[in-house]
Amino acid sequence: MEVIERYVYAVTQRLPEQQRTEIKRELHGLIEDMLEERTQGGKASQADAESVLLELGDPNALAAKYRGYDRYLIGPLMFEPYLTTLKIVLISIAIALTGLLAIDAIANPAEIVEQFTEYVVTLIAAFAQGFGWVTIVFAFIDYRMQKETAGSGKSKPWKPSDLPQIPDAQARIKMSDPISGLIFTVLFTVLCLYAIDLLGVWRITDGERKVIPFLNADVFRHYFPIVWVLAALGLLKECVRIIVRRRTGSMLALHVAISVASAVLVCVALADPAIWNPDFIGQLEAAGLLQAGGEGYDTVVSIWTGVTDWLVLLIGLFTLIDVITETYKWYKVKTAA
Amino acid sequence: MADVNETINGLLGELRRGTIVMGVLSQLSEPQYGYSLVPVLEEKGMAVDPGTLYPLLRRLEKQELLESRWDTNEARPRKYYLLSPFGREVYSGLCMEWRKLVASMEGIIGENKGGEPDGSN
Repeated sequence: MEVIERYVYAVTQRLPEQQRTEIKRELHGLIEDMLEERTQGGKASQADAESVLLELGDPNALAAKYRGYDRYLIGPLMFEPYLTTLKIVLISIAIALTGLLAIDAIANPAEIVEQFTEYVVTLIAAFAQGFGWVTIVFAFIDYRMQKETAGSGKSKPWKPSDLPQIPDAQARIKMSDPISGLIFTVLFTVLCLYAIDLLGVWRITDGERKVIPFLNADVFRHYFPIVWVLAALGLLKECVRIIVRRRTGSMLALHVAISVASAVLVCVALADPAIWNPDFIGQLEAAGLLQAGGEGYDTVVSIWTGVTDWLVLLIGLFTLIDVITETYKWYKVKTAA
Repeated sequence: MADVNETINGLLGELRRGTIVMGVLSQLSEPQYGYSLVPVLEEKGMAVDPGTLYPLLRRLEKQELLESRWDTNEARPRKYYLLSPFGREVYSGLCMEWRKLVASMEGIIGENKGGEPDGSN
């Protein structure tokens, strides 16, 4: 009978592949047994079949009993920080793109209609990206935690000494920390992906904006995968901080690992000479900002040619300071406890 | 105020849930298939619906308390379950624990009839 097939299908579809065949067979046997009991060997009607299925109940519930566990991408434990992160990321994206729209609109007020259309399209795409990345990162964290609890449940019993310290003011990561981190990550990503040509020397002449970009946008495009990885790493770090909210050894390890990895990735991109605007000096001269042989010309040229080394040095320094600060904060907490 | 009967039924359901495992184990020294257990248990006063029983049998098999084999000789192929040696051991251990539980519950309920607090009489 078709309704029985549909019922069995509805149950087994929600079960792991390798169990389906057997459970299907078992369910068919059960339903036939139940039907037989009802009809006492007579012919089963549609109504009989339906009453048997009603007795077995909602196929979703039956499948859940067969599975024995609930499945979800982001569990109830993770849902609150997930929502918080999602809100922050989406709001930052909206603010960043609206800021870019404002800059464009001020520079070229005549093209406001096209600018606005592009803004809406970009906003939708960026929201989808933000939503996707936050969800992926949280699903990943959730998956790891589920595996961890499943593993630790058997191997090592819980002890009172496992209880975490009640975090004092120092150990607690202030919520503003990861929030500003998230906003920075989003702004950085949006800037790299949508507005890298805004990064440069700005000139406003006769109400018209001219930017001499530092970077070669066409070459930089090839480095978008690195931007994505940086965004994902930043997101992962801030998400873990929002979830844990405490300075711990493993938290510090994660922070250091991600900071160093990000710094290395940025340096890899910067080390490519083609990434820089090849005609930067020439454009400066053309704009009348710099004169060959004029005052400061040699300084600008020497800074420009050494820009990669300077930046790599600077990024290395900032990373070092960041790592030292975080380690120091963690060390203070650890010795205080 | 919540309905007394409804609350009792809800709590009773929780109490019964654990006993179903023992009921099932008790009947499986001889091989049985899922649906044949239903009337056997019902006759002894344990109503269990097949939608609960079938997944439970699979779970107990996964926990290695039961062994199973398909019988395809009959008109309808059926999966027969039987206590494993491990399951037998677990079941007899459970029965001992159950008797202790009943005894201690008797003690607790007996000295405190009608839910009155201790020492009020």
